[in-house]
Amino acid sequence: MISVQLFFYFGIFLAIVGSIATAWGPGVNDPIVRTFNTEVASIGVCLVLLCYNHVLALLTLLATTVIITLILFRAIIRLEEMGADV
Amino acid sequence: MVLIPPYVPEAFLSMYLPAIYAGLIVGFIATMAIALKREEIHILILTDLVGLAMIFVVSAVGTDLAEALILPGLVVELAETLAISEILLTREMRKIEQNPRRNLSVSSSMFPQSFALNMEILNTAPNFLALVLIGYGIFLTGFTGGAVAGGGIVLYALSKKARGLPVLMLDGIAGISGIAWCLWILGFLLFFVAPQYWLLSLFLAACGLLLKVASKVGLIGLLMREDFDKE
Repeated sequence: MISVQLFFYFGIFLAIVGSIATAWGPGVNDPIVRTFNTEVASIGVCLVLLCYNHVLALLTLLATTVIITLILFRAIIRLEEMGADV
Repeated sequence: MVLIPPYVPEAFLSMYLPAIYAGLIVGFIATMAIALKREEIHILILTDLVGLAMIFVVSAVGTDLAEALILPGLVVELAETLAISEILLTREMRKIEQNPRRNLSVSSSMFPQSFALNMEILNTAPNFLALVLIGYGIFLTGFTGGAVAGGGIVLYALSKKARGLPVLMLDGIAGISGIAWCLWILGFLLFFVAPQYWLLSLFLAACGLLLKVASKVGLIGLLMREDFDKE
């Protein structure tokens, strides 16, 4: 029997560690590293939504995470090739 | 004293306080990091984390209400990120145009290697593939159908057949979005005014959502095609 509480607390742990890594983690002055660290916290939120049985919210979170990552990468690439200090 | 509605499942009661505290901690970390950073693109990335904290707090409710509140929150966050990134790009471009010694490179690629897909199927059958995806999306309706149909539109926009759509078409997609809102609101109103027509109002809302999501995903595909040269 798999414990739901275990997944719940592991999801909270991942979200907090991922947000600390996004805020002050190693190498976050590169915006691409910062964007990737956001994904760790996002996986934690996915686990919590899975424990709460929110299927539609989980699917929408996955879809919007992918699209937001694409938008952020586009913005970062455009800003870097224009020579802005990112 | 805390008022607990009777239809909240028993298992979720002990998960309420940890989820609220986790949301508060994540939101505190994100806002502290935003306060310490100067560059706008970093602030935009950190705004994503504040959205995750919002999801924590809302999902702690634990009923269908939470699900109904998370969906619009996520979609609004997506639109907000898109709009703010566009504003950042426009401002930076204006700064460069005022600089006399500018070096604006002509083209760039989204992908590390040049994105020249020499696949037979992209030359001969993008219309058919897009049509199948859009048809299946219309059959599904709702949010999922909108995502599938939007994928079809993105495939059509990125394939080589459709290059250089006129501005009129972008305006047309924006108009479809307005019609979708009207359908959605009409279905919502009919649901309360005449509850015996619940099937009709359900389908009105589902088709409105389909048009809305499909046109939005299609617009993102068109934006990316305008930006990045494919060869």
